Amino acid sequence: MRLFLLLACLMTAVPVQAEELVSGVSQDLIQITSNYTGSDIVVFGAVEGQNQNQGGNHGPKDVVVVVRGPDADLTVRRRDRVAGIWINHDAADLSGMPSYYFLASTRPLPAIAPAAILARYGIGVQSLRPDTVHSHHDYEPFRQAALRHLTQDHLYSEVPGGVEFLSDTLFRAHVPVPAGVVRGQYNVEVFLFRGSAVISAQSTPLFIDQTGLERRLYNFAHNQGFDYGLATVLMAIAMGWISSLLFRRPV
Amino acid sequence: MEIYLPIADMSVQWIVILGMGLGVGFLSGLFGVGGGFLLTPLLVFYGIPSGVAVATTLSHITASSMSGAIAQWKKRAIDFKMAGVMMLGGLFGTGAGVWLFAIMRRAGQMDLVVSLTYVPMLGIIGGIMLDESIKTLRAQARGNAPARIYPVNHVWIHGLPFKARFRQSRLYISVIPPLVIGFLVGTMSAIMGIGGGFILVPAMIYLLRMPTNVVIGTSLVQIIGVAVITTVLQATNNYAVDIVLAAILVIGGVIGAQFGVRAGARLRGEQLRLLLALLVLAVAARLLWGLLVPPSDVYSLAGM
Repeated sequence: MRLFLLLACLMTAVPVQAEELVSGVSQDLIQITSNYTGSDIVVFGAVEGQNQNQGGNHGPKDVVVVVRGPDADLTVRRRDRVAGIWINHDAADLSGMPSYYFLASTRPLPAIAPAAILARYGIGVQSLRPDTVHSHHDYEPFRQAALRHLTQDHLYSEVPGGVEFLSDTLFRAHVPVPAGVVRGQYNVEVFLFRGSAVISAQSTPLFIDQTGLERRLYNFAHNQGFDYGLATVLMAIAMGWISSLLFRRPV
Repeated sequence: MEIYLPIADMSVQWIVILGMGLGVGFLSGLFGVGGGFLLTPLLVFYGIPSGVAVATTLSHITASSMSGAIAQWKKRAIDFKMAGVMMLGGLFGTGAGVWLFAIMRRAGQMDLVVSLTYVPMLGIIGGIMLDESIKTLRAQARGNAPARIYPVNHVWIHGLPFKARFRQSRLYISVIPPLVIGFLVGTMSAIMGIGGGFILVPAMIYLLRMPTNVVIGTSLVQIIGVAVITTVLQATNNYAVDIVLAAILVIGGVIGAQFGVRAGARLRGEQLRLLLALLVLAVAARLLWGLLVPPSDVYSLAGM
């Protein structure tokens, strides 16, 4: 309902001269609870103003929606055969890669803009690079492995055609938020392309937080490790003792 | 239905985990083994990180050893002094083990350590059990009693200094052998997630020459002590204990153990022992397979 009202407002907004982007997110805070199995948020928006047709900016308009999670430190390990067995033998630490990356676009990326332009705006899974690397040699195979694993885990994804235009100016994209995401500040970036160039962009923050028992247990384990260990032990001892009372067997 | 494990940081089918706890609890009730040596690899096969599996299995061991220990205590079949001396050794052993654990986990070698230590251990245990049960079955088929091996007298152990009297065991021996045994078993507990009963019991009978009636109770007390110390140390130093996973395993374990004890009272054990031996060997073979076969993806991802 809120979405509808907002869209209605956007539609009646007074058009300005140059083309400009207005966008929003259906939810700016997601609480992950113990039974969270993933959900969807909707990124929506409108292109306001007229296409001024200057400087070769013809061509169809394209919208790209990018959701980036907080940066993470990744360790990628490679197994090699040593003395007949497969062991982790080599590793690279990649820091500054997003922990979550989702991209939706009106058309496949190569049709929208050349790779160099996309890379400049961090658009596309292949454009993601770590800030710092600890590796003994070329880290590219390790980066590719990280991209592959994160894509398999549905933490990195690209959906060409994921942005749909509802009218000439209104667009919408569904962003999945899978269960395995880390908490923190996410950024929703929307880019408006015309003729291979970004003519407008907008960024909106989105917060994902874990709540519930699991979060409290995690904090307990990491802040008061000794008490947490003691609690686990007491739980085990109590259950063992109770069971021997409940199932008292005739000796 | 899935449940999220906060420390392992993954969602699991809780019914599968409960089933593992039940199954291993049943075996431990049936054969009087702790079952850590089966539970840890089962959890690893399911996808629980090796470190969490090793550290959390000890809660299952604590709970399933409790009812046995209570029963033995009522029979006054526990040498607390001996258990105390071994636990002192166990305390240092556990400390060393937890320290090694942290080093190996940081190096990304925890999976390797679990596989490399488990393959020979399970291979040897499974092999001995298989050999024994086949011999017994053959002997029963021929109609004579199985031959028993009698312990050789370890004279050198009685020559060591720092002797102490263990009244319950009717022994006057040096405290060094029980300290060393406790230390070794403690280290293994921390690194491998086992109670170590299958090492403790023969060591107490053959090396320390303790009377068999106090061996089971005393080893259970020692196992509980070491498991408790290890759990607290792993939780404090390595953040590797998952309390949700532990709770599911413990519930399955204590219920399974009760059924195992009942089944053990009614069933003839030899065929079952043969099956357990084959199960142990199958787990060893599966771990060995993982070491030898080229992985589908040589790269793996950690951190976040």
